[in-house]
Amino acid sequence: MEDIRVYEPHKQLKQGIKIWKEMFGELYDFHELIWRLFARDLSAKYKQSLLGNAWCLAMPFVAIGTFMYLNHAGILHIQHTSIPYPLYALIGLSIWQIFATGLNSGANSLVGAGDMVTKINFPREVLVIASMAQSVFEFLIKFGLIIVFFCVFKYFPSWKIIFFPIVLLPLLFLTVGLSLVLSLLNGVMRDIGNIVSLLLMFLMFLTPVLYPVPAKNFLLLKFNLLSPLINAPRELMTEGSIHQPVLFGVASVVSLLIFLMAWRIFHLAETKVPERV
Amino acid sequence: MSDIVVQCEGVSKKFCKSLKKSIMYGGLDILQSTFGIIPDASELREDEFFSVDDVSFELKRGDSFGIIGPNGSGKTTLLKMLNGIFMPDKGRITVKGKMGALIQVGAGFHPMLSGRENIYINGAILGMSNKEIGRNFDSIVDFADIGDFLDSPVKYYSSGMYVRLGFAIAIHCRPDILLIDEILAVGDIKFHYKCLKFITNNILKNGCTVVFVSHDRYAVESICRKALYLKKGKMVKMGDTLETIGRYLEDVKNEEKVSEKKSTGNFDAQGITGVIFLDKEGQVKKQFKSGDAVKIRFHYSFKDMVPNPSIGITFRHHDPRFTIVSSTDNIFSLHSGYDGLEVSQLQGQGYFEVSIDCLYIPVGVYTCVVCLYTENRMNLVRLYEEAGALEVLWKDDKPQRSLIELPHRWTKTPEAAV
Repeated sequence: MEDIRVYEPHKQLKQGIKIWKEMFGELYDFHELIWRLFARDLSAKYKQSLLGNAWCLAMPFVAIGTFMYLNHAGILHIQHTSIPYPLYALIGLSIWQIFATGLNSGANSLVGAGDMVTKINFPREVLVIASMAQSVFEFLIKFGLIIVFFCVFKYFPSWKIIFFPIVLLPLLFLTVGLSLVLSLLNGVMRDIGNIVSLLLMFLMFLTPVLYPVPAKNFLLLKFNLLSPLINAPRELMTEGSIHQPVLFGVASVVSLLIFLMAWRIFHLAETKVPERV
Repeated sequence: MSDIVVQCEGVSKKFCKSLKKSIMYGGLDILQSTFGIIPDASELREDEFFSVDDVSFELKRGDSFGIIGPNGSGKTTLLKMLNGIFMPDKGRITVKGKMGALIQVGAGFHPMLSGRENIYINGAILGMSNKEIGRNFDSIVDFADIGDFLDSPVKYYSSGMYVRLGFAIAIHCRPDILLIDEILAVGDIKFHYKCLKFITNNILKNGCTVVFVSHDRYAVESICRKALYLKKGKMVKMGDTLETIGRYLEDVKNEEKVSEKKSTGNFDAQGITGVIFLDKEGQVKKQFKSGDAVKIRFHYSFKDMVPNPSIGITFRHHDPRFTIVSSTDNIFSLHSGYDGLEVSQLQGQGYFEVSIDCLYIPVGVYTCVVCLYTENRMNLVRLYEEAGALEVLWKDDKPQRSLIELPHRWTKTPEAAV
């Protein structure tokens, strides 16, 4: 049976539920491409710079150093953390950056791919996912640093650290989901890329990344989806238990829904973007 | 569906001239489709126009289809819709089999990475698996002929190498349908011929369907059996390649005439106005038999004086084999200057005649090109071209196994008589 494809206006809308089959099928067909694009970006990074991905270690050091200094100088008042602060901040920041760099590069992935998007037909999801893979890879490098910190502070992580990748999944779904939609919008309006980088900076301070969840329930922190998604993996890694399992559960479900919705939107609008990029 | 691999039914695509409105419409469309509302795409909004307008055609397995037309006639847009990069706004395209597209060669090449790495990446983008790429790797490198540059970053490649590598990768993904958009022009002549040869001898022979967009009419002539002439998104003519190209050239000529009349009048209403072929009896004919006597007469009309004119006549064969094999693609050409015809000046109306006693040239349809030079032979003033002007047939209906016929007779001499 040869594959027969039909192109007609709003084909995807007429498909109904079958669209999911098509989406998963395409993703599977092109899984090698995701890997290739990831490898491509990675090796291109090293060709142009001396340290390549090692640069991603610079940001945590600077941020944590700054926070420690502000705390020391009495400008900021960070509450006591259950584990040594540098370790706490490093883990938090590393997880946060999966989201931040993933979203940033994901939102720019379609625009950045240039000719590929307008001249070649392939599921463009792979561009977003490949840029996400890049930020996960950077996390793995930072994870090496986390292990060093564990040794330095003589803090032994919980054995439940093996579940860490699973607990991290909701955050990945959320990141890819948001990236998919933002990359589309960015294709049409370039402002989105700038807005994303701006918002990410402030969002980091509004999320308990470099400081523990405050005892007082601030509205903004309470409804911050990212807070449980970042704290749960951190708590699991260090203490072996999640403090607010229900909240985490809800956040996970919401993230998954956001991802599925976003993917569908992306798939529907995918062909509109090359016309306008 | 029988043998039909591409079916276009009333396909239209609209674009927006204004960038601001385009962004607005784009956003609106995305928003609407998000909520499952099907936007009505058949209506034109402000500043929108149809880039491709109601195009229909069918292609069978092994067909070679050329798309010609002036810039901005919607050729590339049509190709992109066939490839599925855009969705049509009206109509429907049905495609059967694996699609390979060369809309822009080297799209997706990463300038910092080596040719080797890019082969793997581009191959994956075009839908090849790792194994397939590995299997075809040597063949790709061989075809691209990039030699020592294989491990250099592609940003150091010449534009020709870039195109060669891109083309080599694309043809190795073994598509059932190959879309080629005006890309071969970048490569040098050697590569150009190599590609055309490869398309005719390998790709088309293997039953692959080729859709070819080009401004190089000889390339279209040599590859395509069918052609479509698009103008402002509309189908003007579709059918036999030569006829379609002829129609296109006619249009171009007519447009030129219009603009000529508007221009200064220096060369007003001048030129070679037509070519006719006469047989022994002085009858005007288009078809001649191999070996016939033929008189070529071409009329001129010059208001202004043309000093020291000389005339060249060239016949181009429509068969691709002649254009690919020979370095000069002329089967036969004449030049009045070389023949010693001295004309001091040309003015008013009149005609030239060239008599040929025996027309022993390969059978087939010829395009006749008449060039008028002035002063020295390098200064071309006017060009007249007519596709399908002359057709040469075999002398009789007996099956022939050669390109040309020559007058001959057989004799037999028995051994005993010596």
